[in-house]
Amino acid sequence: MDSPFLKYLSQTVHVKQEHLPLLDELISRRQLKKNDVLLTAGQVCKHMFFVEEGLLRLFSTDENGKEHIVQFASENWFMSERGSLYFGTPSEFSIDVLEDSQLVVFDQEFIEKASSISAEFRTYNEYLLQNHIRHLQKRINLLIGASAEQRYIEFINLYADLTLRIPQWMIASYLGITPESLSRVRKGLSRQNFK
Amino acid sequence: MKTRNIELVVPPRTPHFVGDGFRVHNFIPSAYRMDMKRMDPFIMLDYNSKFHLPPSDKPRGVSVHPHRGFETVTIAYKGKVAHHDSSGGGGVIGEGDVQWMTAASGVLHKEYHEENFSKAGGDFQMVQLWVNLPSKDKMSTPKYQGISNEQISKYYLPDNAGLIEIIAGEFQGQKGAASTFSPVNMMNAKLEKGGQATFSFPSHFSTGVLVIEGSVLVNEVENVPTDHFVLLENEGTDFTIQAIEKAIVLVLSGEPLNEPIAAHGPFVMNSHQEIIQAIDDFNQGKFGYLEE
Repeated sequence: MDSPFLKYLSQTVHVKQEHLPLLDELISRRQLKKNDVLLTAGQVCKHMFFVEEGLLRLFSTDENGKEHIVQFASENWFMSERGSLYFGTPSEFSIDVLEDSQLVVFDQEFIEKASSISAEFRTYNEYLLQNHIRHLQKRINLLIGASAEQRYIEFINLYADLTLRIPQWMIASYLGITPESLSRVRKGLSRQNFK
Repeated sequence: MKTRNIELVVPPRTPHFVGDGFRVHNFIPSAYRMDMKRMDPFIMLDYNSKFHLPPSDKPRGVSVHPHRGFETVTIAYKGKVAHHDSSGGGGVIGEGDVQWMTAASGVLHKEYHEENFSKAGGDFQMVQLWVNLPSKDKMSTPKYQGISNEQISKYYLPDNAGLIEIIAGEFQGQKGAASTFSPVNMMNAKLEKGGQATFSFPSHFSTGVLVIEGSVLVNEVENVPTDHFVLLENEGTDFTIQAIEKAIVLVLSGEPLNEPIAAHGPFVMNSHQEIIQAIDDFNQGKFGYLEE
């Protein structure tokens, strides 16, 4: 009963106690190592992952081989290529493992079954989707119009402890700036704030 | 005087890399029964056992990272490490030297194999310890003590049995070079074959020894090979180490702080709230700036 996923279902999603064992039966768990790949661009995404421990990233690779990071997922985050999962189309993105991870793995069928078992789950899943859209719109807006410093400040508000867990070039990739620009932003912040 | 018995002999765990330069066996806090509470005030012990590094044009190591709330102590046995921190400290430590950095309210630092050593390659062996700070000193000003081997006081054992290098604390009335915030004893026993030394620390101090070179007999009963750690009980005061063959042993003994520990990566504070604050301060640049 004390797995992080069940705790999340109970405390955050507010799934009723009697429904928890029913949902627990439908999921599986996987232990992954750093650098393992969960989804490769071109494949159809079959799964959604919930991170109990560890860190994942979703990224695309351009024709020059450069990686562009779209999303990170650390503890208590969901990760999937939702478009590919729902529509069954090949994914434009890859998902890999940045730290040894323990994941809960489920598929679209789980989402449907869980939604029919638990009204709370259904409501929360919709909230997650809406929240995801809100987040993506905000991210598009920042990438189009905001300064590197604004983007970085948004990043540290969203993913506070990732600055300690991932290399700077990955943060720069997520922000759509060069590692050199990120270094300047951090230097600027320390000038303002280091007493 | 009462004998301090052995609680446990811990073999080295599977090594992992810290950054791309340090191949370490972690003892504290991941070894069985060597968690932060049990080993208080020692909260981390990484041991880079002797490892041959091939020549490399680009020095390997760990790039810029923060620390808050404790002290890092690096003891070099083989090879050279260069380091820099955001408070302006830095330098190179080589064989026999010690770097004692008080991260306290927060520093950024980086540590690499020293450039010429890296180019030439060679054997590399070192210990990194984290010593916790008392709550009242966690937010004090960072400082740095670079302690060269000449500055470390040495006690020569009778009958050419070897010598004790006192990094911190006290041995036979002779004081160590480093200043500490709570009572900590840290010394290297460099023993000739058959040489013996007796150590005496207050019974409630967390105490252990790491065999760096050779093999030793502890308390005349336990034969301990190279790279193994001996955890001693928090009962009794005295224990003896005798070299079966020429040996170097790191001896640690510190008074437990007995304060709550909240640890997250490179921050060790007293509460979760203080950890959140540390992450926030780091992200806001309040630890200063250091070039990669």
